[in-house]
Amino acid sequence: MRAANIISQAAQSMDRYRVRAALMMLGIVVGISSLAILSSVGEATKRETMQRFKNMVGTFDTIIVRPGGGRSRGMPTLVNVPPTLRFDDANAIAAEVPDVKAIAEVQNAFDIDVQYRERTTSPAVFGVSCNWLELRSEDVAEGSFFSEEQNASLARVALLGADVRNGLFPAEDPLGKAIRIANVPFQVIGTLQSRGAGPAGAALDNIVLIPINTASRRLFNRDYLTMLIAQVKNPDQSTDATEKVAALLRERHHIRPPALDDFTITNPAVTMAQVTRAGSTLRKVLIGVSLMALLIGGIVIMALMSIAVSERRKEIGIRRSVGAARSDIVQQFLLEAVLVALAGGIAGVLIGVGGMQIVARIQKLPLILLWEPIITAILVALGTGLLFGTYPAWKASRVDAIQSLRS
Amino acid sequence: MIEVEKLSKRYKRNESAEVEALKEATFQIARGEFVCVRGASGSGKSTLLNLLGCLDQPSSGAYRLDGEEVSRYTDKELSRIRNAKIGFIFQSFNLLPRTTALENVEIPMVYGNGRVERQRARDALVRVGLSERAEHFPTQLSGGEQQRVAIARALINRPTLILADEPTGNLDVNAASAVMGLLQSLHGEGRTILLVTHDPAVAAYASREILLRDGAVVSDRTLNGNNRTDQGAL
Repeated sequence: MRAANIISQAAQSMDRYRVRAALMMLGIVVGISSLAILSSVGEATKRETMQRFKNMVGTFDTIIVRPGGGRSRGMPTLVNVPPTLRFDDANAIAAEVPDVKAIAEVQNAFDIDVQYRERTTSPAVFGVSCNWLELRSEDVAEGSFFSEEQNASLARVALLGADVRNGLFPAEDPLGKAIRIANVPFQVIGTLQSRGAGPAGAALDNIVLIPINTASRRLFNRDYLTMLIAQVKNPDQSTDATEKVAALLRERHHIRPPALDDFTITNPAVTMAQVTRAGSTLRKVLIGVSLMALLIGGIVIMALMSIAVSERRKEIGIRRSVGAARSDIVQQFLLEAVLVALAGGIAGVLIGVGGMQIVARIQKLPLILLWEPIITAILVALGTGLLFGTYPAWKASRVDAIQSLRS
Repeated sequence: MIEVEKLSKRYKRNESAEVEALKEATFQIARGEFVCVRGASGSGKSTLLNLLGCLDQPSSGAYRLDGEEVSRYTDKELSRIRNAKIGFIFQSFNLLPRTTALENVEIPMVYGNGRVERQRARDALVRVGLSERAEHFPTQLSGGEQQRVAIARALINRPTLILADEPTGNLDVNAASAVMGLLQSLHGEGRTILLVTHDPAVAAYASREILLRDGAVVSDRTLNGNNRTDQGAL
C-alpha cells in the first residue's frame, strides 16, 4: 500500500515539475530512439544482405570452384580465366568426392549481343548443365528447361532471364521464337523467374541460359570452364567437402605444395558468415553511439535531479516530518528518475518506430519491427534511470530535515 | 504520556568545541495537557521540540512517548512514530508548493500503512473550516488559511501529540486568533498540545509553562486558568 502511495507521489511530482521532467527525458529519448532505429535497421540490413547474397549464389549448400589461383578479378568470364578447369574435372569430382551430390558446369561471358528482329540487348550468356535449376533453387517461369538430350545433341535452345525477356519481347510470347546469340540462331524454349537484386545491385535477371555443350562447341568454342558449382550432401560439412574437392583437383592438376593452386574454391556459407560479421561490427559501432547518447541522457537526469533535490529540500523536510523515513525519500526520488527515464524510453521507442519507417523508405529496406530491441531499449532506459537516479536519491535522503523545515 | 529524563543534546560546533543545546531536561507531560515552552532564542526550545517530535535523537537521556522508549530508535522507527503519533505545526506553515490544500493534507497518509483516503482529508479540511479551499494551491491561500491547512495535515493521522512551533509567528492578529482558537478546541477534545512560543499572549492559551534558559529547564509551572481572559484578546 505504502509503495503504491509513494509511486503515486512520484508521479504527482513529475506532473508538478513538467518542464524539468521533459528536459530530463530528452537525452533518454534521443538515445533510445537512435538505439531502436539503429538496432532494427541493422537487423533489417543484415537480413537484406543475406537475401541478396542468397539471390546471387542460389543456395548455401553449394561450393563454387573457379579456375586460377589468387584473388578474383571481378566476375569470371571466358576471356579472363586461365584454361585450367576442364570438363573432366567436373566428372572426376562428381565421381570421386562422395560428399558432392551434384555438380554443374558453367561457361559464361558478359555483354554478348542477343537479337530478336530489330531489338538487341547485351546480357550475360551462361552455358550450364541440365541440373542448373536444381542446384540454384531457381525456377522456370514459362516453357521448360533444356534436357540432357538437347545438351548432348548441341541443341541451339535458350532460356531468357526476366530482364532479357522483357527487353526483347515486351508484348509477345517469347516461346518458340528465333533469336540470335552472337549471330548464332537459337530458339527460345523458356524464361526464368526473376531473382531480384544481388549484393551490389547486380542485375541477376539480365541473363540467357543455354546448354553447356552447345555453348562450348557452337558459341564460345572453348573447352575449359569458368565455374563449377558443386552441391554438397550436408551443408554443415561444406568445409570438409571443400577440402576434398581441393585435394582431388591438386592431384589431377599435378600441383604439389608449395606450388600454388590453379583454382579457387569459395564456400558460400563461409563468405556469408564474413558478410554477416562485417554487418554486426557496424551494428556494434552504431549501438555504441546510441549508448553514448544514453550515457549523456543519464548524466542529464543525474544533474537535473541533483538540482531538483537542492530546490526541494523543504519538501523533503516536510515529508520527513510527517513520517517519511530516509528509505521512503530514496524510493520517491529514485522512482521519479525511473519514471522519467521510462517515459523517455517509451517516447524514444515511438519516435524510433517512426524513424525506422522513414529510414526503411529511404533505404528501400523492408520495415522490420523487432520486439527484442524495443523491449531491450525500454529496459535500458529503466536501467539508466535507476543508475543515474541513485546518487540524487541518496542525496535527497541525506537532506537535514530540521534545517530545511526552519528555512 | 511524555516522560523526559535528563534529556541532553550536544552539537559539534567545530573539531574541538561542543555546544550543549539541551542540558538534562527532565519533566513529564500528561495526556490532554496544553503546555507551552518559552525561552529566548538559543535557549534550546527548538532542540527540545525536535527531540520530542522524533526528528532528532538525543545525545543522552531517556524519552518515553506513549509508553515507548524512543530515544534509541532507528530512523525507520522514528519515522513511524512521527507518522502515527505526532502532528507538527510550523511557523512557516511548510506546505508543499504546487500542491493543492487537499493533497497537502493527504501526505501523512502516504507514509502510513493504509491507502490515501481522500474523504478523510476532506473531513479534516472541513474541521478547520476550509472545505471551500480544498483545490487551492498554497499561493492562493492567505497565511491564516495556510496554517489551518497545516493543522488539518497535522490532525489527519489522529496523533496523540501536537507540536506547534511559533504557529502564529507569521500571522496577523485575526488569523492568529483563529489558529489559537483551533488549537484550543483540539485541546478541548483531549489532545495533548505542546506549543513553543515567545509571545506571552499565545502562551496564555496553555495551562502549563516550561521555561528554558541556556538549554536548561529553569521553571515549570501551572498557569492560572484565567490568564488568557485576563490579558484579553491577542
